[in-house]
Amino acid sequence: MKRKRKAKVKKFVSILFCVLMYLFLFLPIMVIVSGSFNATHTKPYLSWKGFTFDWYIKLWDNTSLLASFGNTMIIAVVSTIVATIIGTLAAIGMYRYRFKGKGILNGLLYIPVVIPEIVIGIALLTIFSRVNIPRGMLTLILAHVSFCVPFVIFNVRARLSGYDKSIEEASMDLGANRVVTFFEVTLPVLMPGIGGGALLAFTLSIDDVIISYFVNGQTKTYPLKVMESIKSGVAPDVNALSTLILIGTILLVVFTQSGIFKKGKKED
Amino acid sequence: MKKKVLCLLMIVCMVAMLLTGCGSGSDKAGSNGELNIFVWTEYVPESVIDKFEKETGIKVNMSTYSSNEDMLSKVKSEAPGAYDIVQPSDYMVAQMISQDMLKELDFEKLPNFENIGESYKNPSYDPGNVYSVPYMGGAGAIVVNTKKIDMEIDSYDDLFDPSLKGQLVVLDDFRAIIGMTSKSMGYSFNETDEAVLEEVSKKLMKLKDNVVLYDSDSPKSALISGDCNAGMIWSAEVAMAMEENPDLEVIYPSEGPYLFFDNWCVTKESKNYENAMKFINFMMDPENMAMVLEEFPYLCANEKAIEMMGDEYSSNPAKNPPAEVIAKGEYVQNLDSDVLDIYSHMWTKLKE
Amino acid sequence: MRKKHSRHEWRSNTLPALVMVGPVTFILAFLVVVPLIFVAVMSFCQTDEYYNVVFKFTTENYAKLISPDYLKIYAQSLVIALITTILCILLGYPFSYIIARTKSKKKRILYMLVIIPFWTNSLIRIYGWRSFLGSSGWLNSILMKLNIISEPLELLYKTGSTVLGMVYCLIPFMILPLYTAIEKLDTSLLEASSDLGAKPYKTFFEVIIPLTSGGIFSGSIMVFIPCLGYFFVSNILGGGNTDMIGNLIERQFKSANNWPLGAALSIILIVVTLLLVKGYQKLGGDMEDLGV
Repeated sequence: MKRKRKAKVKKFVSILFCVLMYLFLFLPIMVIVSGSFNATHTKPYLSWKGFTFDWYIKLWDNTSLLASFGNTMIIAVVSTIVATIIGTLAAIGMYRYRFKGKGILNGLLYIPVVIPEIVIGIALLTIFSRVNIPRGMLTLILAHVSFCVPFVIFNVRARLSGYDKSIEEASMDLGANRVVTFFEVTLPVLMPGIGGGALLAFTLSIDDVIISYFVNGQTKTYPLKVMESIKSGVAPDVNALSTLILIGTILLVVFTQSGIFKKGKKED
Repeated sequence: MKKKVLCLLMIVCMVAMLLTGCGSGSDKAGSNGELNIFVWTEYVPESVIDKFEKETGIKVNMSTYSSNEDMLSKVKSEAPGAYDIVQPSDYMVAQMISQDMLKELDFEKLPNFENIGESYKNPSYDPGNVYSVPYMGGAGAIVVNTKKIDMEIDSYDDLFDPSLKGQLVVLDDFRAIIGMTSKSMGYSFNETDEAVLEEVSKKLMKLKDNVVLYDSDSPKSALISGDCNAGMIWSAEVAMAMEENPDLEVIYPSEGPYLFFDNWCVTKESKNYENAMKFINFMMDPENMAMVLEEFPYLCANEKAIEMMGDEYSSNPAKNPPAEVIAKGEYVQNLDSDVLDIYSHMWTKLKE
Repeated sequence: MRKKHSRHEWRSNTLPALVMVGPVTFILAFLVVVPLIFVAVMSFCQTDEYYNVVFKFTTENYAKLISPDYLKIYAQSLVIALITTILCILLGYPFSYIIARTKSKKKRILYMLVIIPFWTNSLIRIYGWRSFLGSSGWLNSILMKLNIISEPLELLYKTGSTVLGMVYCLIPFMILPLYTAIEKLDTSLLEASSDLGAKPYKTFFEVIIPLTSGGIFSGSIMVFIPCLGYFFVSNILGGGNTDMIGNLIERQFKSANNWPLGAALSIILIVVTLLLVKGYQKLGGDMEDLGV
């Protein structure tokens, strides 16, 4: 009897704790969503002036905001694709071959992961300005690839550790060449790891503020645009776009529930 | 599963294309080239830029900065010609001239220069207006929420009073705040003597407990929301805050205020010089300048624009600081780098 | 196979190895190693009167950093990062435990709910906290409506609000590794422990915690280190009162224009980080766990 009550209390406490934690995680999201319906027109857009959908319409006139979001998507897609290809190849290469400097390369992979982003950001800024590469889309993509690649490698590597080499040998024995074997045998087996890595790279890329802040030049990404608008108070149309993005990602999650997500994310 | 991934990628790509399409759709409308301007945050309204784009067909790319030094660093580190127009304050104009970073202006193409008041022409930092034309300026004004603060405040010195603990918002600008401290002790905004600066540093630390927020971009926000109840901020920010919160009041310090004046300049490496001239001339048009003043009511060099604004603007001391206040004020000057090092060290100490 | 035809193997393997590992080596060399070396070089450079970098050797930048004021900011940053990490463990551990131990299908949903907020831009979420905590923000309005307080509480622009923002930003990096570690736990071990008569708290401290320590360590590293560099959190929520190393570095590059000094600050930050990672390895942490 006593035990049962104790278990009940325990359950209640843990549920309460979880609810509070989710509240903590979602509180700012609620502020953002409610801010997108605020009818205020005066900076800093703090006081509540009534409910409106106007900002979801006006949003489409704010071309610089939309363009910055477009930039972010382009950068994220391109750097994710590049990082995924390079990272997958590297993970397989490092798993399969022995070569000089492998240990060093392995150590280097951890640098972008453990060193604070701000140091990477200023390092890239100093080198880009030294060799006079104009800052912009290109430098942003390069920077994003460099900090995304290690995460792809780690994810693919995790998948490789349980990988049975003999299936490749079997494929070669059956007459398939190296390239065919790679695409038909190796890749499908590693797919969940690759998917998970790509997803992580994409997530890191779209939300990167610090490194982009130093290497962007005049190209504005969505996080940098937000950073600028924070100075004068976040405008409701920025909130509206954020809300739309949130809805978009939730839909994507639902869409991918049975896909890469299930297998990919679990690997992490 | 592969299909799903591909499908996802396609969707993301399409969204991205669509959006940049939206953005650049109007880009392409810039049939007469483009213009890259680098200006202070909250200083040039979008509406005026839109008007300029419509009238001239020039596409304007606006970036913003929060301090002169921020601007200087970015102009230097970006590719040459990344920015056509910059908006340095008084002392920074002088510094940029001495570093050969500015291009001479062509006054043949700036007929609207005649609208500028005589007293604003030929400033000491750019004799003969070779490289700059004045835009707007103001003073480092004291703001007080009279409902929340009982104390009588009429000088910078009063801001150091322990009773103001946890009440102030001040500019996130080391020259303004350290200068204000020296001024409150009877020294200049441009003090260079090490012994004096030592004293100033001691007094500066008294400010630490009083200040809750350092903000140069939009200090009015904290005053409107009530997070801060007094402070030292740009005069026009006070004016804008007063419109939202009538309990606020502007006070000019008895020691004489910190003054600043921002100017239009063209960078040495500018690739769109002609467009830059068109833009500067456009901004000196009284009607356009009045549009600016409606949104950002700073002290204005354009006499015709002031006339258009009428009494509501010119009799409001926060918008149009009285002449005797300006007469008492002091501008910040360039200092040697070893003195600036001391300043920056004092600033670090304040913020730790 | 490799041993038998080593010469032949070498030739046939060099090309594929190069193709596969070459690109990543190139990227890491030119976008990570060379820039970092350049920062190290710059930290020994001087500036001219206009703060342009002059390539002349000096150790002055490091000499400046030994001054008590800079050391104080370093100490302060480390303390803030430590508090953040501890709070992340205290909040994140039980939370991950509950989620990972949920048996039903809800587990996936619960897990996703942790991740979803972090797909919204982090700056705007931090700003959301500012709107929430401000004098006329949600929290104060609600408390005043309920007559719990008469004057708005001053919650913003304090060290505490910076810590709150840091915890908020970084807690997923704690929850995810912990979740993985706890999920891997072998339930039979826990049962064995309680069958042998161990009290629940004893099972927790002597069985569960040691078995999940890998998750705790890697989570701590993933929280502690970024915390030192997140300058925007203390800018938005700290009001510029509590500078951290990140703010100091950012200021040298963005407004004080003293790049060599900023470079020296960064080098020190790198040293601190590497020491932490070394400590992590000494404690038995696995580098593989750090990739989230």
